Amino acid sequence: MGSRVTFFEVEILDWKTKQQLCFLDKVEPHATISDIRLMFHKSYPQWYPARQSIRLDPKGKSLRDEEILQHLPVGTTATLYFKDLGPQIGWTMVFLTEYAGPLFIYFLFYFRMPFVYGLDDKLTSSPHPVVNLACICHSFHYIKRLIETIFVHRFSHGTMPLRSIIKNCFYYWGFAAWLAYYINHPLYTPPSYGQKQINFAVIMFLICEAGNFSIHVALSDLRRDGSKIRKIPYPTKNPFTWLFFFVTCPNYTYEVGAWISFTIMTQCVPVGLFTFLCFIQMTVWAKDKHYTYVREFKDYPSLRMPIIPFLL
Amino acid sequence: MAAPGSGGAGRAENGYGSQRRKGPGALATTYLVIYNVVMTAGWLVIAVGIVRAYLTKGSYHSLYYSIEKPLKFFQTGALLEILHCAFGEMYCGYVTETLSLADNSETTENDGDIEGIVPSSVVLTAFQVMSRVFLTWAVTHSVKEVQNEDSVLLFVVAWTITEIIRYSFYTFSLLNHLPYLIKWARYTLFIVLYPMGVSGELLTIYAALPFVRQAGLYSISLPNKYNFSFDYYTFLILVMISYIPIFPQLYFHMLHQRRKVLSHAEEHKKSE
Repeated sequence: MGSRVTFFEVEILDWKTKQQLCFLDKVEPHATISDIRLMFHKSYPQWYPARQSIRLDPKGKSLRDEEILQHLPVGTTATLYFKDLGPQIGWTMVFLTEYAGPLFIYFLFYFRMPFVYGLDDKLTSSPHPVVNLACICHSFHYIKRLIETIFVHRFSHGTMPLRSIIKNCFYYWGFAAWLAYYINHPLYTPPSYGQKQINFAVIMFLICEAGNFSIHVALSDLRRDGSKIRKIPYPTKNPFTWLFFFVTCPNYTYEVGAWISFTIMTQCVPVGLFTFLCFIQMTVWAKDKHYTYVREFKDYPSLRMPIIPFLL
Repeated sequence: MAAPGSGGAGRAENGYGSQRRKGPGALATTYLVIYNVVMTAGWLVIAVGIVRAYLTKGSYHSLYYSIEKPLKFFQTGALLEILHCAFGEMYCGYVTETLSLADNSETTENDGDIEGIVPSSVVLTAFQVMSRVFLTWAVTHSVKEVQNEDSVLLFVVAWTITEIIRYSFYTFSLLNHLPYLIKWARYTLFIVLYPMGVSGELLTIYAALPFVRQAGLYSISLPNKYNFSFDYYTFLILVMISYIPIFPQLYFHMLHQRRKVLSHAEEHKKSE
């Protein structure tokens, strides 16, 4: 008793003009959207799979690569809609660009390039030790991020639109320039409470950086087998990961902590403002992630808050 | 800026097409009707004040002083609209639905975007109200020397007419009885009023510049213990420059909405 394989036909229409862009016949029923993207790419080489948004409705959500054709609510002639997402950049490239920028931009100000503070102060150095310390901490923060991007992170999405990376670079690079300008300024004023304030800030900074790194390693270990499935992260033997008892995204918690400590260390309003904006952005991301976990796992630990233990 | 808030511009979509939003409940509707009636009345008071002052003085110079207090009060009161949008997103949604302006355009699929923090309607409303409040307090009120300028009258008149129409538009919409005339006025008069208001605003800021520079108004310079500096003069220039990309966008958006809304209304009228 043989089973007849019913092949599907897939037509792909432009989401806006509804024009038929591509017609695929004899498509295997267990073909995935990823396969369809590859087939579409053959007809339109300029639209590589990462920039194809394939959806069931013209304005619907993009279908994931793993979705299987026969499990979709379509007849044997499936109508799918295509939207060009524009040029895409891989997440690794995105992060490398976003992090390398601030690292080098800060140096322009630290070493007082002539075009920054005027010719009288060019290439001079600050009499305040805290300015050197701030440079070390800022650089450490971004070098650590670059290392993590290359060796630690495992990304679930492949890419990001080019437009976004340009906007993000303006934001991160711009802020780095702005805060570096004041910290390395010839008229910089060291913190009001002197060495006590600086020492406290350094210790807090180191704790938060170590914590942030520990969390990234722990999250990366969840995906060691290369799977894309989401799993609940749990505290490990590393004490820094014990924040997982209280918080869904301790990496964001530590990150905000690091920036708060940097603000205390430099006592600089632009740094404080940047910290505040980081806090808002990370709270939004943390809440997103938190509610995704809560929806997906019935047994998700109820004590956990998104980013601040017991509060937020 | 004198842009009438259209409420429907670029609302962040969730990707599942347009959603039918529920209208606000009876209590919220009552509150909103009262709010909009009060605002309409307030701006009418300002309008009457301007006309009276013109008739008494015989010239249109220095009319700012006659309506200074109600202008400050009612323009600042518009800040409540940000709260309305934030807490009752249905307020924005409701007005949008009535106008059938639900912006069904493409989903925004930029996950890593910094800007996706708050729903667009709150941001847009906040932006428009804040720019008005900024003009009122941080420029006209703070720099006394510009209060005699004719440019102040220019934007005050533009704002007054715009707001009277806009608030009565919202009032009637909430009561489900919107006269075509009001809808037409809202989507047509802006063609003149918006450039008029923008011109008045820009000229006023420009007039304020020398006085800001002289007095070092709202400016802080290094060194100081907060390691921060701010030059209000430069800031005002940047504000003026920002009108260049923003004004055309808003203007053409309103023109686009006008085509959509008024042609939609025409079809309704024909089908009666």
